[in-house]
Amino acid sequence: MSRSVAIVGAGPAGMAAAIEAVARGARVTLIDEAALPGGQIYRQAHPSLPGADFADAGESARKAELLRRFRAAAEAIDYRPGTAAYALFGNGELHVAAGAATEVLRPDAVVLATGVREVAVPFPGWTTPGVMFAGGAQALLKAQRVPPGREAVVAGCGPLPLVVAAQLARAGVAVKALALLRPLRQMAADPAALWQGRRLVFEGMRYGRSLRQAGVPRLTGHVPVRALGEDRLTGVVLARVDAEGRPVRGSEHEIACDLLALNYGFAANSELVAMAGARMRRDPIGGWLPEVDEFGRTSLPGVFVAGDGAGLRGALVAEAEGGIVGAAAASGAGDDALRATLGDAFARRRQWAAFQRAVRGTLRVPAGLWSLAADDTVVCRCENVALRDIREAVAGGHRSLNAVKRNVRSGMGWCGGRICLPAIAALAELHGGVPPDAMMTPRPMVRPVTFAALAAQQKARSA
Amino acid sequence: MAGEFHFTFEGRPVAAREGQSVAAALIAAGERCLRIDEAGRPKGVVCGIGVCWECRCSIDGKPDIRACMTPAQAGMAVRRQHGLNP
Repeated sequence: MSRSVAIVGAGPAGMAAAIEAVARGARVTLIDEAALPGGQIYRQAHPSLPGADFADAGESARKAELLRRFRAAAEAIDYRPGTAAYALFGNGELHVAAGAATEVLRPDAVVLATGVREVAVPFPGWTTPGVMFAGGAQALLKAQRVPPGREAVVAGCGPLPLVVAAQLARAGVAVKALALLRPLRQMAADPAALWQGRRLVFEGMRYGRSLRQAGVPRLTGHVPVRALGEDRLTGVVLARVDAEGRPVRGSEHEIACDLLALNYGFAANSELVAMAGARMRRDPIGGWLPEVDEFGRTSLPGVFVAGDGAGLRGALVAEAEGGIVGAAAASGAGDDALRATLGDAFARRRQWAAFQRAVRGTLRVPAGLWSLAADDTVVCRCENVALRDIREAVAGGHRSLNAVKRNVRSGMGWCGGRICLPAIAALAELHGGVPPDAMMTPRPMVRPVTFAALAAQQKARSA
Repeated sequence: MAGEFHFTFEGRPVAAREGQSVAAALIAAGERCLRIDEAGRPKGVVCGIGVCWECRCSIDGKPDIRACMTPAQAGMAVRRQHGLNP
């Protein structure tokens, strides 16, 4: 009997894992929350929506090719769009919700290709409507064909703000400023990495050219320190920051805008693998990562992680790694036998991982930036927990994220802490002097599920 | 335009196209505040991809529906939630 493999996430890693696993004879179930495959980076617009996505031609070609390969394999894949995985247990039980029902899957192997989410740094006014994550603004543009504002400020660190600012400018949005914490040219300190990733460097340069053509001012070493407006954003105060990320007094200036698109890097979506009990470690750029071997095996038998969910390395690494992990999950072959058939995927993963090391260097949020939050700034948006609440909990001796959560409810709301946890970990460290090495323990459900859907659970079956 | 239809937000008509989410149509219509939270704070679309739940609305009387993950449909009645009240 062939092995059953359940894959969570239909981005580059999940699609590549599904393609490889069915090619090796596994019965594959692919769970994804979105209506169409692609994940975040290759997010697709509904086929009837007209308009362009403003992405670079190189990215569009990679997206089209992977989606073509996925469609070619799709007949053999039990692909379930609109389905959320809300729990994974150490015995390999995967619980999923679709519409008004839930179901328990018991596959031989689970591959988590859950990707990353954006990291946010709380600051005064950041809950004002019109302050969005840069990737969210990009999703509106590329999958919905809707410009997310008329006048935009784009800010943060790493490559995404540059990409999103350029795409907004190409879409006709007036981009008033691109404010970057540190210059992307610092990646030039690692010329070997740049050479490995030169195709992506050229894409970045083309985005940069769009910004120059649109006359977008670029402010390096600046960050938003306050968002203005009541029920909608009316402007942003930018300030220069020092090397530790602390704002320099007197450097503030205001820019009128109705969209602030922010990205301070990414944190892995690792709740499911942590819930199952896998060994985890803190990621210096935000969030927690499972410990994995070269085939994506976690410390739990039969539980694999592929792509950015095992550490941010971008879509090209995710696609190569998806193939490697899909093969390992689908077959009982030994490491050497697997390696012999996966030479190309290993080579591609090595090449693009080298480039992504340079990217990671642009992403760390410096400690001082977490001091932008004022005492009354909301940190946990769902439960309206302010910095003051967290500071007092830490001062009162609650030195772990679990203890802080139990005292002030941070991370207990609708998002399950997926937005605020990197911030709460950093703020607990900043104000308590204790690095919270342990992740807040994720409990079922990691997505809100109604009692009606639980009551309508289908009987457990083999996936 | 082909494929265009309307739903309502707070009783006002909002244009949408087939394949667009409720959130996208609202933003295109100039709406930013989609909800008033339990502390009285106005909230809008934040992550845009279904992670943060900040854009949840009441749709046809059902509360807590993520506007960013819900395809717009003709005739839907979308309303702002105020705190825990749909």
